[in-house]
Amino acid sequence: MALYTLKRVGALTPLLVVISFLTFVLNGLSPMDPAEVVLHAQGVPTITDELIAATRAELGMDRPLLIRYGDWLLASLQLDFGDSFITGKPVWSLLGPALLNTMKLTLVSSLFIVVLSIALGVVCALKEGKWLDLSVRGVSFLLTSMPAYWLAALMVWYFAVKLDLLPTSGMDTAGSYVLPVAVIVIGYAGIYFRVIRSSMLSNLNEDYVLYGRACGMSERKLTLYVLRNSLQVAVSVFGLAIPIILGSTVVVENIFAWPGLGTLTVNSILGRDFPVIQAYVLVLAVAFVLFNTVSDVMNAAMNPRLRKEL
Amino acid sequence: MRTKKAVILLASILTIVILAGCNGDKVNNGGAGTEAEVRELVYATAKDINDMNPHLYPGSMAAQGILYESLVENTPEGIKPLLAESWEISEDGKTYTFHLRKDVKFHDGEPFNAEAVKLNIDAVQRNASKHAWIKLSTKLAEVSVVDEFTVKLTLTETYYPTLLELSMTRPYVFISPKDFQNGETKDGVTAYHGTGPYILEEHVTEQFATFVANEAYWGGAPTVKKITAKVLPAGETTLLALQKGEVNFVFTDDRGTDSIDVDAMQRLAETGDYQIVRSEPMNTKMIVANSSQASSPVSEKAVREAIWQSIDRETISRTIFSGTETPAETLFSSNVNYADAGLQKREYNPEVAAKLLEEAGWTNADGTEIRSKDGRQLAIKLYYDVNSSSQKTQAELLQSETLKIGMKLELVGEESSAIANRRSIGDYDLLFNQTWGLAYDPQSTITAFTSETAYLHTTSGLPQAQELYGKIEEVMVSTDEETRKGLYKNILTIAHEEAVFIPLTNGSVTVVAPADLQGISFKQTQFELPFERMSFE
Repeated sequence: MALYTLKRVGALTPLLVVISFLTFVLNGLSPMDPAEVVLHAQGVPTITDELIAATRAELGMDRPLLIRYGDWLLASLQLDFGDSFITGKPVWSLLGPALLNTMKLTLVSSLFIVVLSIALGVVCALKEGKWLDLSVRGVSFLLTSMPAYWLAALMVWYFAVKLDLLPTSGMDTAGSYVLPVAVIVIGYAGIYFRVIRSSMLSNLNEDYVLYGRACGMSERKLTLYVLRNSLQVAVSVFGLAIPIILGSTVVVENIFAWPGLGTLTVNSILGRDFPVIQAYVLVLAVAFVLFNTVSDVMNAAMNPRLRKEL
Repeated sequence: MRTKKAVILLASILTIVILAGCNGDKVNNGGAGTEAEVRELVYATAKDINDMNPHLYPGSMAAQGILYESLVENTPEGIKPLLAESWEISEDGKTYTFHLRKDVKFHDGEPFNAEAVKLNIDAVQRNASKHAWIKLSTKLAEVSVVDEFTVKLTLTETYYPTLLELSMTRPYVFISPKDFQNGETKDGVTAYHGTGPYILEEHVTEQFATFVANEAYWGGAPTVKKITAKVLPAGETTLLALQKGEVNFVFTDDRGTDSIDVDAMQRLAETGDYQIVRSEPMNTKMIVANSSQASSPVSEKAVREAIWQSIDRETISRTIFSGTETPAETLFSSNVNYADAGLQKREYNPEVAAKLLEEAGWTNADGTEIRSKDGRQLAIKLYYDVNSSSQKTQAELLQSETLKIGMKLELVGEESSAIANRRSIGDYDLLFNQTWGLAYDPQSTITAFTSETAYLHTTSGLPQAQELYGKIEEVMVSTDEETRKGLYKNILTIAHEEAVFIPLTNGSVTVVAPADLQGISFKQTQFELPFERMSFE
């Protein structure tokens, strides 16, 4: 088991290096002079040639790309992603709090998504084809097909303005979580409960269920067995759901003025704040790879057959 | 049995969700109740106020404007005293002696005196390369302390806009010398203590910033005791937050955009809770033509005039801007200093435009839709900012109008920084642009005629280019008001006759405020608002 984990983690390093290099190079390929980009980002009204030359030297842009990449990679291993072009503050001091805020939103949402998906998936699988199954699937289909920004605007209008129950935006009170979390949960739970449901259904048709039933095993116990086996699929799916939500909260954060990664990245992209964009891509790549590995390792722990495959 | 349990589970989850909602509700209502009693202003801003260092450029100008002050103030009646009570200008126009107010303190209690003025201006000058746009930074030779409240500025040459440039939001404003880092401000400051009517109380990045009234303000403590800048990136949320009262003030931001659309503003005003106040014209949106490329059709005056006369400004103002912007007939609106030069208006008239092209030799005798001359098609590229929906719509309107007179307009949308780059290297036919704004017009915009990063390629192809540049140089060092007026009239007439700056509309600042807020007025700049003059009924 330890060997398996080690192998999996070892395979990650080259992948992350490639991702980080690509981001660095792609940013470098931008048609504009980075020094000029910095000065534009700082809002300097008139940019002279001397100023560009001075800025280029100050940023170390006059050195070869590979050397700059090497320096950046070494520093970023210690969470030193350089300074933001716009504010001049260390990138981590911007990215850290934003990541934390988005993490809060993501984790609370994920918790609800997992609980809701499993509950709905199990109920629907057991009631397959009945009105409950049909209506849950119908409603979830309707809700997940609504664009997130539209759903969010509707919910803010109804719950915050009309009923005056919740704040429209911000991150001040516990109530602030309700609407953004609800929008995210509606978007994802509607998809993930289907995964549980179909996995349950295929397991219910397995021979071991028939055998168990023939042996007189209680239905309750049988359902628990089926659920445990169905959850194997769910672990991989949910494992990836967390980084997916982490990287796709842009719309929700923008509408709810949530000071997280989405807001930060959009502003950085618009302002061409390359150090922040690079760090963001790297952090997100690490999150994807990490959660994927964790779910693989978890699955391997639950199912010894998987360990031999690598 | 099984289903019952599942239903119970489901019901309990729902209960938790609903309870969580109720909990939030109580907390929030408590907050809203106390807010109403204190009557503060909460304004929505699409971007964080950012770094408040007044000697650099990333910060919000509206916020910097209430924290910091300059020596003098630009008003519709001309330059007036602010931190300087009075001043003398030497005969040769090279020495300015300022007598400072004696009752001014920085927010941290430090005294504002000649020494503080010198420290601040010297700190700005040591970072002069970042301030190249403000010509005073290249002409300031020395700042010397005469006595505790008298300070003398010496220039290398006469420069008439000195007082105007000293009145601007940045960089010649004053921060407590205690906030300097190693005697400098260019690498950041430790705190943001100015002399202005408001004090920065708290700033949570990407969430909000609060400003409280400076009770010891030399001009009298402001009536509105607290102002909050709340970050709301999405216009839809801003509108909903206004309806709910979480924010109660919005205004046209630094980049000239309104966060909520005109119809929505109108509906808000109809509820009776809000009022809309609009300023005089603050700047001119325009299309700039490149006169320096002989290969481009727009290097011909007739083509530029034809474009000018095929723009229906009334329709643009009415349908694209819903009346928030007014049609512009000249480079500067008449409320700009020295801009009332009696220039001839060029009407919207496609027939005249077509005739101009015909006379200049651009014909479609062979029956083709697009005119040509010497085997060359009348095809022109117009660059617009992809992030500006109004520029795109205007470009499309213009495209269909010019097609009627046999001109092919190709529209190219790019990022604003890419367009700025095109402007500085001269790689364009036409592009969208705007004047610097009331505080900077006409002097800064006109100085930019000669600047390579701005309008050099726009003006350098004109037959009178050298004459124009000579007059621009002359007007900046002029000391006599009448001479200056005459020179500005000449400069504006050349630019107008040659039709290189094709005006579209005049932009202004729009404010949406609570209906009972009094004293809403504007400054001579679109980037600041005089919050200290406002009060609740």
